[in-house]
Amino acid sequence: MSLMAFLNKWRRSQALALAIGAAICAAAWTGTPAAETLEERVQVCGGCHGEDGNSKMENTPSLAGQPALFLTNQLILMREKLRPVEAMEPFVKGLKDDEIVALAEHYAKLKPGSGPEPGSESLDQAAVARGAELVKQMHCGSCHKAGFEGQEQMPRLVPQRIDYLVKSLTEYRDGKRYGIDTSMNGVMYQVRNADIRALAHYLGSLR
Amino acid sequence: MRSLGRTTAQLSAALGLAALALAMPLGWANAQQAQRPTSGPDANPLDTSKALMAKTKQSLNLKPHASPLTITPREKIQLDKIKVPAGFKVELWAHGIPGARMMTRGDKGTIFVGTRVIGKVYAVTDKGGERSVKTIVDGQKQPNGLAFHDGSLYVITIDKALRLEGIEDKLDSPQVTDISDKINLPESTHHNWKFAAVGPDKKLYIAIGSPCNVCEINTGLHGQIRRQNLDGSNIEIVARGVRNSVGFDWHPQTKELWFTDNGPDWVGNDGPQDELNRVAKDAEGAHYGFPYCHAQGVADRTVKRPGACVGVTMPAALMGPHAGALGLRFYTGSMFPAAYKNTAFIARRGSWNREQKFGYDVVQATMSGGKATLTPFMTGFLDTASNAFWGRPVDVQQQPDGSLLVSDEQNGAIYRVTHGSAKAATK
Repeated sequence: MSLMAFLNKWRRSQALALAIGAAICAAAWTGTPAAETLEERVQVCGGCHGEDGNSKMENTPSLAGQPALFLTNQLILMREKLRPVEAMEPFVKGLKDDEIVALAEHYAKLKPGSGPEPGSESLDQAAVARGAELVKQMHCGSCHKAGFEGQEQMPRLVPQRIDYLVKSLTEYRDGKRYGIDTSMNGVMYQVRNADIRALAHYLGSLR
Repeated sequence: MRSLGRTTAQLSAALGLAALALAMPLGWANAQQAQRPTSGPDANPLDTSKALMAKTKQSLNLKPHASPLTITPREKIQLDKIKVPAGFKVELWAHGIPGARMMTRGDKGTIFVGTRVIGKVYAVTDKGGERSVKTIVDGQKQPNGLAFHDGSLYVITIDKALRLEGIEDKLDSPQVTDISDKINLPESTHHNWKFAAVGPDKKLYIAIGSPCNVCEINTGLHGQIRRQNLDGSNIEIVARGVRNSVGFDWHPQTKELWFTDNGPDWVGNDGPQDELNRVAKDAEGAHYGFPYCHAQGVADRTVKRPGACVGVTMPAALMGPHAGALGLRFYTGSMFPAAYKNTAFIARRGSWNREQKFGYDVVQATMSGGKATLTPFMTGFLDTASNAFWGRPVDVQQQPDGSLLVSDEQNGAIYRVTHGSAKAATK
């Protein structure tokens, strides 16, 4: 195997994608002396979450058009280490409430992406069909609203990256993540991996 | 929770569709749902299906209101909207305390404030005309339960018990001892934020909720108020069949324990109502009905047993539908008129599972012959015409001068209620 072939293969691997992602994020961060204004902070966030708030990075959520209260709550949970996300630690440390609210309001105003949601896997139509059924049975629309645009403390689910949906639904099921109450842990209790994938593919298929 | 997730994943794989069916009827979300029977029309009381909506006549879009985790600016706190009886006054005593819930008072006057989601315990001190707020514990899982005894603050979270010795002299550098291995807490999350207090018998009392909306529970573990020695030894159950109590206190004269208890969700807009209960001196360990019998003898329609309400101690008062009756303390001061002495103030955080909002106030409970009657005391947080609220009282705490502190989780604020010509605390 030539070096290029090896590298190409390696590049396709999730591990490397993640490593490159982390490196870009780190570069974006260290390249900025200290993000002190909203504009500077948004530039740093854009390194991973996309300049327009629509993420092109694996396992990293799109933030555009998320409810401001949801974003505020999550940033505070991360700052307080109640939702530990290692990649976010340097950015949330020491952020003041009003700085968090400003960031949340900025992303809430951005336009959610309209193209196909970039994800690590292409849409599996069988999973999409299964997901459509599950979403009805699980009444996801009760809180996240019929169009899954979210409201108040409940996040927008469409559009969102498929890989990120799988990641966060799995974390809720496994008790690795809590919202501001325990509702999602109850909803995801005992849901199988295949069904988490189906939910993610269905939501990822919607525009 | 994590190991539970793994186990259930394996189980689900093995059981295939059967397990799926178990997980699917979840709408509103309570960890208990999947533990419920999976067949029959009443398998899941939280099933947000049309059938349920028809039965309960409740909107399926009801959802808990998120309490802000951010500081509410002082100018947003609508003090002028609060109403109290003639002769009483309300002032903003402290603010900038996001998530402020249960309060307990140290011997040297520190007001300790617990929270849920934001994971912090605050210490509020009075510095000659103004208050200073310090965070003394953070990063905890819902540190709602606070008790103070003999110089130490006890913090009971969902999964831990912490002791902060000599805390009032060490607010800048608290020493936290984890005593979780001594105070045995069950492993559950839902409804398992705790209420705690040290009783007149110098024992630590902890309310342990039921890990569900309505479900069969292990009464030895959940749905109870228990007491134990401060070193954790000799656990006794004081009240059982309690759905979720987040407030109790001892009657100043009878020394009997009185506690609030929250009724179930998704059974209708009008109840079953929350309860105020009394543990009679000769009836410690009595059963208060959950999960079979709610409020004033309403049999549960999903968790059934013959004679659902037989042997169940009925409430001393009904606290209102979905009212969120939480913090309760007896008033022993002399600043308020004599009629308030030995009555209880109860904070009602306000409903979420009800279309027309209810509660969002502090009521006075007057005890007589083991029963109680309620009178409105502090209102104005809810505008019934627009069905909107701006504040949510969670706890009450009497100060040595006889004034009453009221915590407001929505605004991260503490109000002080005084009577007559009492001086304002803020210069």
